[in-house]
Amino acid sequence: MFSWKESGRIIVLLFVSSLILVPLSATVLGGFKTTGEMRVSPFGLPREWITEVYAEILADSSFWRYLWNSFLISILTVALTLIFGSMAAYAFAQAKFFGANFLYSYLLLGLMFPFAAAILPLFLTVRDLGILDTPWGVILPQVAFGLAFSVMFFRTFFAQMPDELFEAARVDGCGYIRFFFLFTLPLSTPILATIATFVFVQSWNNYLLPLIMLNDREGYTWTLGAMDYRGEYSWEWNRTLAFVSATLAPAVVFFLAAQKYIVAGLTGGAVKG
Amino acid sequence: MAEVILNQVRKSYGAVEVIPDLSLVIPDGSFTVLVGPSGCGKSTLLRMIAGLEKTSAGQIIIDRENVTGAEPDKRGIAMVFQSYALYPHMSVRQNIGFALRLAKRPKPEIRQRVEEAAEILQLESLLDRKPRELSGGQRQRVAIGRAIVRNPKVFLFDEPLSNLDAALRTQMRVELAELHAKLDATMIYVTHDQVEAMTMADQIVIMKSGVIQQVGQPMELYNQPENPFVAGFIGSPKMNLLEGSLARDQNAAIVGVRPEHISISQESGEWHGKVRHAEHLGSDTVAYIDADDIGSVTVRLQGEVPMKTGSPIWMTPVKGNVHLFRPDGSVERV
Repeated sequence: MFSWKESGRIIVLLFVSSLILVPLSATVLGGFKTTGEMRVSPFGLPREWITEVYAEILADSSFWRYLWNSFLISILTVALTLIFGSMAAYAFAQAKFFGANFLYSYLLLGLMFPFAAAILPLFLTVRDLGILDTPWGVILPQVAFGLAFSVMFFRTFFAQMPDELFEAARVDGCGYIRFFFLFTLPLSTPILATIATFVFVQSWNNYLLPLIMLNDREGYTWTLGAMDYRGEYSWEWNRTLAFVSATLAPAVVFFLAAQKYIVAGLTGGAVKG
Repeated sequence: MAEVILNQVRKSYGAVEVIPDLSLVIPDGSFTVLVGPSGCGKSTLLRMIAGLEKTSAGQIIIDRENVTGAEPDKRGIAMVFQSYALYPHMSVRQNIGFALRLAKRPKPEIRQRVEEAAEILQLESLLDRKPRELSGGQRQRVAIGRAIVRNPKVFLFDEPLSNLDAALRTQMRVELAELHAKLDATMIYVTHDQVEAMTMADQIVIMKSGVIQQVGQPMELYNQPENPFVAGFIGSPKMNLLEGSLARDQNAAIVGVRPEHISISQESGEWHGKVRHAEHLGSDTVAYIDADDIGSVTVRLQGEVPMKTGSPIWMTPVKGNVHLFRPDGSVERV
């Protein structure tokens, strides 16, 4: 049925996907088990499906608040990163100006700077700006740290766009700025979706920054909420697992929605291939 | 419709001078072809007329208006690119209408003008397709449609046929010539293919290293080339350019004779040689002959002429068709 090569490939792929699927399903299923059963069979299907734990979490208003906070922070981080990242990258890719290389290298330095190393000055800056305990205290540093790599990816992608496309548009009366909105952005959906997913997931899972910047429970993201939750029900692992499963859903949905664009290449047909 | 005047234009990139000092008049309504080997500056010149390259010095005048520093869309030109440069995310209709949309023309007018252009180019049935769903020839037509719809004073073509296969190229050549007759607009066309230049142009400009070698009608360039470069560039197979004692005897630097202007004979003639190789094309026979004391001579004969490699042969150039290029740059035809 399959050749040796094919079977080998299938086995490797099954193994790799199982690395993701097994813990994921254990987490999701764990929420349907009793604590006792969790200890006996952590990976199997639950003998009896208990829905109360999930129901309780979903009925809890603070769960929805955590989720909303995380969502707001992530979506704004994505929006700002895409807007500023793509605009900066467009300038680097299209315009030749004095000091462009220097500026670009300076921007890329950001890639080598770990979050944790900057946490103290970051905290002080955020405090001085008076945005501690607000979503902006998390959003702005996240955008700043996301810009370096997003500009790098955007620039590479934009630079591959054929020059004649811009020249044709110029003859038709289209300037730099209009070209950005009418051509560069619509033709860059694959890279926009890739960066958006990456930034979203990173922001969604960020723990350190919200931990430092947010003190008020009202503003907690789900990662902080999960820690809180675990502290409260430390012996009820099924609750923690159910909580984590419920919070994973938006990130998965976001990924599935963006996946189509990540795979698609749109520039086909622009110039003779 | 407009006359294009290039007045002492120059182009240099830093210290490298691509076009030293060039003046040229492109008459209103003409189909002018800029032709030359690659790197001769013909594309650069076209892009300067389009406004895509800055002009280092001199003036570009289109329809009595100095447009040297003007933006491309303010010059009244439209350009067709070698790679077509269609907008991949827009339908054919949107591609053609894009310039009008940017110029904020009313929607009914855009629709009407796009449909007119589509009709001229037989694109009506393709208006709602995306560029990637079109064949090479269709894409080329859309690119031309994008130019037509703007109703420009001058059309600029940058090697528009070089991406097409041979059969389609011949067809598009005819279509472009017909389009020119129909629109009666000034067209400037860049190519490195002398056949395209000869078949379409009513004025040919031959360039080499940024310098114009000769300007004239196709037959003028064919019959009266002003220098050996033009003589060798126009015509296929290439004109025989003979140096050495033959040229010295006639007080010339180079003697030029076209392959089709040499007759052959088994018995007698001016030059003697041996057949090295012969190509039989059916309509023509092209023979490569090693002539004594002269070197290799190409001869083109009408119809099927039997030739045997190594057989001796006599050649005689046809009177009035021998070009003597003098050392002082003048030309004499004998």
